[in-house]
Amino acid sequence: MLAKSITQRSRVVHHRSQRARHVLGLVGRSLALAALLAGRAGSADASPPAGELVRAELIAEPAAVRPSEPFWVGVRLHIKPHWHVYWRNPGDSGEAVAIQWRLPPGFVAGPIAWPTPQRIPVAHLANFGYEGDTTLLARITPPAALDAASPVTLEADVTWLVCETECIPGDAKLSLDLPVAAPGVTGGSNAAPSASFDAARRALPQPSPWAARMQLAPDLVTLRVDAKSLQTGAIRSAAFFPYAETLIRHAAPQQLDLTRDGLVLRLERSALSTAAPGDARGVLVLEEVLGTTTARQAFELADVAIDGGSAPYGAASLVAVLQAAALALIGGVILNLMPCVFPVLSIKVLALVERAGGSGGEVRRHGFAYTGGVLAAFAALGGALLGVRAAGAEVGWGFQLQSPIAVALLAYLLLAMGLSLSGVFHLGSSLQGLGRGLAQRAGLAGSFFTGVLAAVVATPCTAPFMGTAVGFALTQPTAVALAVILALGLGLALPFLLLTLAPALIGGLPRPGAWMETLRQVLAFPVYATVAWLVWVLGQQVGPAGLFAALAGLVLVGLAAWSFNAVQSAGGWGRRAAAGACAAALVGIAVAVAGLGRDRAEPSGVPLSASAPRIERFTQARLDALLAAQRPVFLNMTAAWCITCLVNERAALASEAVQAAFAAKNVAYLKGDWTTRNPEITRLLEKHGRSGVPLYLLYTGGSEPVMLPQILTPATVLGEIDRIPDPSRRRASLPTSAKEQAP
Amino acid sequence: MKPVARRTVLAVGLGGAAAIALDVALAPTIAYPGAQTRIGAPAPAFTLADSNGKSVSLADFRGKTVVLEWTNHDCPYVRKHYGGNAMQALQKKWTAQGVVWLTLISSAPGTQGYVTAEEANRLTSQRGAAPSDVLFDPKGDVGRAYGAQVTPHMYVIKGDGTLAYMGGIDDKPTTRLDDLKTARNFVDAALTEMAQGKPVSVTTSRPYGCTIKYSS
Repeated sequence: MLAKSITQRSRVVHHRSQRARHVLGLVGRSLALAALLAGRAGSADASPPAGELVRAELIAEPAAVRPSEPFWVGVRLHIKPHWHVYWRNPGDSGEAVAIQWRLPPGFVAGPIAWPTPQRIPVAHLANFGYEGDTTLLARITPPAALDAASPVTLEADVTWLVCETECIPGDAKLSLDLPVAAPGVTGGSNAAPSASFDAARRALPQPSPWAARMQLAPDLVTLRVDAKSLQTGAIRSAAFFPYAETLIRHAAPQQLDLTRDGLVLRLERSALSTAAPGDARGVLVLEEVLGTTTARQAFELADVAIDGGSAPYGAASLVAVLQAAALALIGGVILNLMPCVFPVLSIKVLALVERAGGSGGEVRRHGFAYTGGVLAAFAALGGALLGVRAAGAEVGWGFQLQSPIAVALLAYLLLAMGLSLSGVFHLGSSLQGLGRGLAQRAGLAGSFFTGVLAAVVATPCTAPFMGTAVGFALTQPTAVALAVILALGLGLALPFLLLTLAPALIGGLPRPGAWMETLRQVLAFPVYATVAWLVWVLGQQVGPAGLFAALAGLVLVGLAAWSFNAVQSAGGWGRRAAAGACAAALVGIAVAVAGLGRDRAEPSGVPLSASAPRIERFTQARLDALLAAQRPVFLNMTAAWCITCLVNERAALASEAVQAAFAAKNVAYLKGDWTTRNPEITRLLEKHGRSGVPLYLLYTGGSEPVMLPQILTPATVLGEIDRIPDPSRRRASLPTSAKEQAP
Repeated sequence: MKPVARRTVLAVGLGGAAAIALDVALAPTIAYPGAQTRIGAPAPAFTLADSNGKSVSLADFRGKTVVLEWTNHDCPYVRKHYGGNAMQALQKKWTAQGVVWLTLISSAPGTQGYVTAEEANRLTSQRGAAPSDVLFDPKGDVGRAYGAQVTPHMYVIKGDGTLAYMGGIDDKPTTRLDDLKTARNFVDAALTEMAQGKPVSVTTSRPYGCTIKYSS
């Protein structure tokens, strides 16, 4: 009862050649069982012995070893259903599979090539590993001098931890004998091992075609992959499996954002990660939607640059924080010149000085109370915005200008602010009156609330400037963001504080007057400049139709602003008409925003590689000509956003064996790029019942082309090409009608 | 609107903003298990029953160094440390120097590692273990508060209540007894450095072992 499971070790006896393997396996297992029973007098109700949970075997790709020619071997693990073994980074618990090679002298084994792991959740934690059958590959390089007479014995000691809910360590001693190829004999691999090696290679992550960067914040690791032209709709999910074991919280959800420049994954940093990881590499797994199915594609990010400091309060970032805070402070001081703040300022200070009757101490205390009020209001604002940012991060918002709709809305908002500054309409006049009322309260509390109100009330006319500072702050880590926002508040409070500390300066203050109104109108123009810049950004993100929709929206914002003002100042019939115009304008803006969301700029097409002259661009005419000439044709329909297409091209179509087979059978390779929705390609896709890419067709002279599966391996392609009759034989056959109808 | 009503509205608005800000500050500590366990931060407080029926709190040991060892006697990794007498030796060495060594079991009833008080005492004497106390956390609240994931998962708490070390027991995450000879024991190193008044050089490491069988 004490021991619900016992530590058991299975010893799988030597694997000889394939003939004897089966028999010896049985013998081995019975010996192992006998050893178990003899060795450990454990409890009766044990978990299944480790040998039944994982069966290991050593396989080699070539039939024979050739001197100096590296070859692949694999440790194939057959794992009992519902049990799993672990990847190189096992996750929150577990132990990675380890292989200790014992090779003849001169042989060198490379590192394990790990297949793409699966995420295996366990309670509130997560592990990375494998279920079912998996093969760990390794490359072995023989020496130049090999004795052709004696076979080569490769041995591997494999250890693993296999778990379901309980864990059982296991190990196996595997060995494999391979003959040495006689010189001059062409080495060829048997069909069966090659297929399993093909499948094992397909399970490996592909080298990543994209650059990747990692940003480290105290709580967050941001992985940015520069993959332009990915389509938002096509990627269902993304997951990053880091090699470093203590970098991220493995069980936390990974937040994916698809942007025009690629994808961004936000990962929670582990509490165990106290410095930048030594190894920032990992595997990125993307799930791509292909019509009705999804394909899982994995890429090894082997070169991840780390941006930014990892230490949260390091010296370099402190300088950046101070710089941002200094700028915010200056911005806050400038805010005092706004007509909604300035009058309150001078009136309040004068009232204070009169009431205190020159008592410097009391006036100073009021100054501090006012500053306290301003800072409290800004702290609350900062807290609320950071809360929204945190919540927004959960929902998938970004605070950068990535979405054209966000850019358009920001442009409209800023235009409205600018129009307010220009005097087209007035925002927040009731709030300004409120401010004056409270400013007349006596006592320290009064000063505190004056401070709060100065911050709150100032918002409508200071929003464009505050907006920039706050917008910048929100892209920074929490500490920097709060520092910037509080510095802004301090800047706002600073003149008042200075005046209370040195009341004599009041004489030097300019009197409120018409100059304030002029200043306000002048300050509208930087806001209009910002709107122009946002429209330029928008122009990069949408096509001409979308840009027109955005500009029309701007006109409607102007109309809405003017009619809002008309509502307030006109009477009776005029008011109703103005209200109607305002409402119509707002509806129009909503329609414009929806319209521009639909017209995103298409990414540029994938250029055909100039180094592979045998790949021709697809046109219907060229296909017909080739078929008329009775050449077999391989058709590859791809698109810039299609990751599966990319992987298929690299893993299968670009491989030497396939290229050689194409050449041997005189197969013409036509590649169609559907990125710009070429109508000829669309027709072909529809003809074969497909709504998207990839599509692989092999025309072999029969009536209908052979359609290959959407996930290619070299073996699949070679298998189909093998079926094409040799060119010499084909010339003698009767012509068949395989022509497409010209459009 | 009368001035009084305006003031009320404003006060309510500000109160709401303050509440939001407070929520934002507190959210990380509520949301994630073990999110508040950081090196240098106060270790989460707890009160648990021990194998002799007494109630034991972390606060009882204020001023002393406390080591928390999450265990599951059936886990092959725990068996490596106890089988090689390494864990017992470590316990004896440091309890003799005044360190409080608490062994915690967070397995849910019916799962691997769960034991009754009598079984726990029997295991302790059978294995020659020398913890100051064995505590039961069957609901898993304390384990979750600390973010304990596996067995053995080790925490070292300074006399002032802050965390000095958390993570694995050593740097050889295997079940092989031989690896005990060459492994670098992080807990021993941390306690030695603390006894000499030096700062702990390795404050975190990857905890390895079997996952703790928490109640769902």
